[in-house]
Amino acid sequence: MQSYALESPDLSQVQSAMAVVEQACNSIQMHMNPAEAEATILAFRQSSRPYQTCRYILENSHLANARFQAAATIQDAAVREWGFLPDEEKQSLISFCLSFVMEHAHASEAYVQTKLSAVGALLMKRGWLESTAAEKDAFFIQVRQSVVGAHGRHAQFVGINFLESLVSEFSPSTATGMGLPVEFHEKCRASLETKHLKDFYCWAQDAVLSVANEIGYCDSTGPEVKVCAAAMRLMSQILNWEFKKTITADVGGVKNRRDASFSGFGHEAALFKKSELVLVQPGPAWRDVLLSHGRIGWVLELYRTIGQKSSSDRSWIDSPLAVSARQLIVQFCSLTGTIFPSDDGQMQEQHMLLLLAGIIQWIDPPDTILNAITYGKSESEMLDGCRGLLAMASLTTPSLFDRLLKSLRPFGTLSLLSLLTCEVMKAHAANKDEEETWASEAINILLDTWNVLLQPTDLSKSAHSAVGVHEAFALFSTILEFELKVAGESAYDDGDSSEQFQAFISARDERLSSYALIARAAADKSIPLLTRLFSEKVSLLCQGSGRADPIRTLEELYWLLLISGHVLADSGDGETALVPEALQAQFQDVTDPAQHPVVLLSGSIINFAEQSLHPDTRAAFFSSRLMEALIWFLARWADTYLLPIDTGRGHNCTPSQEGERLNEPHQARKALLCFFGEKNQGKSLLDTIVRIASTTLISWPGEKILQELTCFQLLPALVCRKNICIHLVTLESWRELANAFANERILFSLATPLQRSLAKVLSRSACGMSNSEASNQYVRDLMGPMTGFIADITKKDDIKSVAQQPDAIFMVSCLLERLRGAARATEPRTQKGMFEMGVAIMNPLLTLLEIYKNQSAVVYLLLKFVVDWVDGQVVFLEAKDTAVLFRFCVQLLEIYSSNNIGRISLSLSSSLLNEAKTEKYKDLRALLQLLTNLCSKDLVDFSPDLGNGAEKPDVAQVVYLGLHIITPLISLELLKYPKLCRQYFSLLSHMLEVYPEKVAKLTPEAFSHIIGTLDFALHNQDVEVVNMSLSSINALATFHYKERSSGKEGLGLHAVDYNDPSGTRQEGILGRLLELLLHLLLFEDYSTELVAAAADALLPLIVCDPGLYQRLGHELLERQENSVFKARLATALQSLTSSNQLTWSLDRINRQRFRKNLHYFLVDVRGFLRTM
Amino acid sequence: MSDEEHHFESKADSGASKTYPQQAGTIRKNGYIVIKGRACKVVEVSTSKTGKHGHAKCHFVGIDIFNAKKLEDIVPSSHNSDVPHVTRTDYQLIDISEDGFVTLLTESGGTKDDLRLPTDESLCSQIKDGFSEGKDLVVTVMSAMGEEQICALKDIGPK
Repeated sequence: MQSYALESPDLSQVQSAMAVVEQACNSIQMHMNPAEAEATILAFRQSSRPYQTCRYILENSHLANARFQAAATIQDAAVREWGFLPDEEKQSLISFCLSFVMEHAHASEAYVQTKLSAVGALLMKRGWLESTAAEKDAFFIQVRQSVVGAHGRHAQFVGINFLESLVSEFSPSTATGMGLPVEFHEKCRASLETKHLKDFYCWAQDAVLSVANEIGYCDSTGPEVKVCAAAMRLMSQILNWEFKKTITADVGGVKNRRDASFSGFGHEAALFKKSELVLVQPGPAWRDVLLSHGRIGWVLELYRTIGQKSSSDRSWIDSPLAVSARQLIVQFCSLTGTIFPSDDGQMQEQHMLLLLAGIIQWIDPPDTILNAITYGKSESEMLDGCRGLLAMASLTTPSLFDRLLKSLRPFGTLSLLSLLTCEVMKAHAANKDEEETWASEAINILLDTWNVLLQPTDLSKSAHSAVGVHEAFALFSTILEFELKVAGESAYDDGDSSEQFQAFISARDERLSSYALIARAAADKSIPLLTRLFSEKVSLLCQGSGRADPIRTLEELYWLLLISGHVLADSGDGETALVPEALQAQFQDVTDPAQHPVVLLSGSIINFAEQSLHPDTRAAFFSSRLMEALIWFLARWADTYLLPIDTGRGHNCTPSQEGERLNEPHQARKALLCFFGEKNQGKSLLDTIVRIASTTLISWPGEKILQELTCFQLLPALVCRKNICIHLVTLESWRELANAFANERILFSLATPLQRSLAKVLSRSACGMSNSEASNQYVRDLMGPMTGFIADITKKDDIKSVAQQPDAIFMVSCLLERLRGAARATEPRTQKGMFEMGVAIMNPLLTLLEIYKNQSAVVYLLLKFVVDWVDGQVVFLEAKDTAVLFRFCVQLLEIYSSNNIGRISLSLSSSLLNEAKTEKYKDLRALLQLLTNLCSKDLVDFSPDLGNGAEKPDVAQVVYLGLHIITPLISLELLKYPKLCRQYFSLLSHMLEVYPEKVAKLTPEAFSHIIGTLDFALHNQDVEVVNMSLSSINALATFHYKERSSGKEGLGLHAVDYNDPSGTRQEGILGRLLELLLHLLLFEDYSTELVAAAADALLPLIVCDPGLYQRLGHELLERQENSVFKARLATALQSLTSSNQLTWSLDRINRQRFRKNLHYFLVDVRGFLRTM
Repeated sequence: MSDEEHHFESKADSGASKTYPQQAGTIRKNGYIVIKGRACKVVEVSTSKTGKHGHAKCHFVGIDIFNAKKLEDIVPSSHNSDVPHVTRTDYQLIDISEDGFVTLLTESGGTKDDLRLPTDESLCSQIKDGFSEGKDLVVTVMSAMGEEQICALKDIGPK
């Protein structure tokens, strides 16, 4: 320390600095002028070499807050200045941190010690790659001394604490950013994992064992307990480490169940959404530490001892010691991977058995345990028991999982799981009024466990196995019983409020699909049970007609429909839904397809739904909510079962169909699939469903949710497959629907988005027509009335006044939405018809745009139609048609721009003003989308090349014209909307990269506007946006440089310095960008991932104008007063442009070199440039 | 769509066209609605049911387009609500008189001078300042249910 005597400030200076910091801390705490106090502290943190002062504060200040700030300041300053601190000072900083926490282990404000030990860990990591192995070893020997207890309990605790900080600092997910590349963190992580992590674990274990005997009752808060809990926390933290996957070749040959679980990892990880289980997978190196000779038994033993010693006090379960011991046990349950030898899983089985024997006492017998919890015992032990089961289930096959318990109990694990789940269900139903109870958490974990066990992980194996059928059915009956009870009781609750509707639905669906998996495991019993319950409830409803209040029954039916839908079919989510394998594989003895349980259940539900077609029964029984469930069911069911594509080829082939499947099961599968096929019931069922759907649109006026389900789910499910469309277009019921849509008024009572969807669905069904001509004619017949109507009204003389009437506005909005829906259904087959549709209303649309310039809602719909129409058309059009389309788009943009430029909304209401701003923003997004769609013509073009020399319209020209028109409308204010911002810059960077030559032709105003937005984007919060602006700059500068090197003009006047009207000299844009970018890189905050992109933009800027770069470099040097730093900066600037054999060219290798140079440069100089 | 069904009558002079009935379920956010006799812009719509198996109803939150007051209404979604006839007309601003009236140039070449400047200071000054700087201003006048107000401003100054 003496060596810095010259640099260190004298005592009085240090004292006054401390006083300032203390005062600032005080005023923050008292909340007096906090802004100023924060500024003081910030300045302190950024000051140069504050270490002496910090040490002084830490040692002398009585204010814990000030000590904390001092610790934080050491961290900030050292990370910043690390590059030029002398080695001794680095070392002394680290040892200061550690010795300080050791000496002050008794201090009361633990957060200061924790912070300081974290700072020590951080600095340790910062210097990790510089220090030698011997240095590290020497250091860790000391740490070990204290961890194993050589210096007393307090030092032991501090040592463990330090290791905790160290592990969390080295783990990439919890590491602190230090302005260094990711590789640095990765190297540190790997080094710690291979060299030290295991030692840490062993030390912690030794620490636990050394104090375990001294622990008396756990309510004692002695240092032993503290040490023990901390050590176990450290162990579980180490087990949570993301171990590098070791790829071992030796497992390959052995086909055992563990292989299956390996291949299923990704899948399983996705299943633990609710319970957040992490698999522990250290490599084989950990075998001796974790597995050999009762290495696990001690923790079970320890936990048992804690329990016995404190049996008088019930709260022991939640004491830190018990909690961390249980956490460790659960982690051991999820131990897997190459740590186990390839011995056909024997060792893993032994391991699990040992653990199961421990945790079984937490959960068995279920009724007694849950009873105790209901009467006040803590539930955390039981929950951890469930987590242990989940961990084991995720690593075993169902049969092995079941077998585990059989050596300990007369029944298998599945029986226990089933019993436990039933009991928890009962407990949950008993106190369902409370939100978020332990029971619901337990249900989530247990259902996850069932999910993991029952989910078919590998399609090539038959998902169905006989294991657990009985248990699954017992559980499913209990679920039905309690859920129906809950449903019935909630029937009189208030209607769902729409606010959390979506979240509620998805949570409910998640749970229902867990139930469905359980039901499918025992399908041969559970499906008949569902059918029986459904029929019972229906007849109850019919009997009670007019007398009893049906609401309870309605709600029970509602729930039964939901669960039936989940059991019978998976949600397709846009994919082709197959009949669940479990349902195909079971029922092999069913010979008559009409008696197939799946057919029976489907049939009774569809029959019931059909009754809604009669006005009387409809009024008596079918509430809108019940109808919602029916429509939802029909949509899901039709997606899977109705007119399946593969009926001709037998069952739906899974990727590896095994040859040994015999004829008989094949028959049952085929029978089920064919029953709803085209030769059987398929077509008549389709007709029924269409009639039900049409009825919901008309007979439940204003029931939006119901109509949404019909328009967004059921009808789209019918038109998504061509083979269904072929039948659809021949049905009378479908023709009636299309006719009502095209020629009648009735469907105008639907909300406009529904009409859009209806138009889309109807247009889509045109693909069922026999040929392209018929399809196009179908579209013409369907949409002709709409286009005709729009064309007619715009020709009227009094259109200007009539158009403003609310009914006219409503009508035009409906029509625009319908047109948009149809346009979105454009397919190669109907493209011609759709193009005619759009062309027919081009001029009318321009008229409407003018007339409705003050009705923003209509304008938006109109723009959206054009966007979608262009999107569908642009890739197919021939040159002639493309020109028509382009001309129309430009006119549209011009009219929009002339109506909106310079317009300011005035309103008293801030929310109305905001609305107006939002509307503008949405319009602009639509316009940008339009330009982006036009751009795609250049990338994808399916139009026939006629080869007649017709000149293709220039896409770039059009898009630039468009950008030119709309960029003035995009104010910096509007760019604060993140979506608009991204969209704008992705279009801009695309254009600049692909057609930089067009930019040169822009007018100076348009050009400087674009540059202005680039400046804005460079300082954006969104990394993506900054990236795009950097690549735009790169493109601009590269273009200029290349053009200039080949003797052309490049950006021409834009790049030249000029005198602005007031006579001051203005730099050309490239110069301005160079200056901006340098400033950003050196002095501002940004994410390190941007450095590469910034290097790519900076290099061309430098080569374009080396002179300016030299000048800026000089200015930077001039400003630096400290001579040491000045020299350093000069060297760094020098090597930025010269090291690594950098040349003045823009080829790929050179760019890569420059990226590296810039990285070193920034690490080198940013530290002191940013110091105050 | 046969012609007689969708023929818009020109009702501009009848006075009966101040509002138009529209099914509540089809009125969307950003549309207009009459709540408690005032023309409002809808800023929020939510639907709920009267009991689980009851009928749907719409809950509207609207903002009075003239005085910016917030109003709410609940309507069964199959019933009709009144939608106001809101028109916006552009006029060139010719003059601002000292007593707070503006003189506007109509499309037919006449003048309209029965409209006051907004009473709110900041809105008023936005118009006045622009005018005194000599800009060519077009104002948009919004009218509904017998009330009128300037709602937007546009500088069409020398191109």
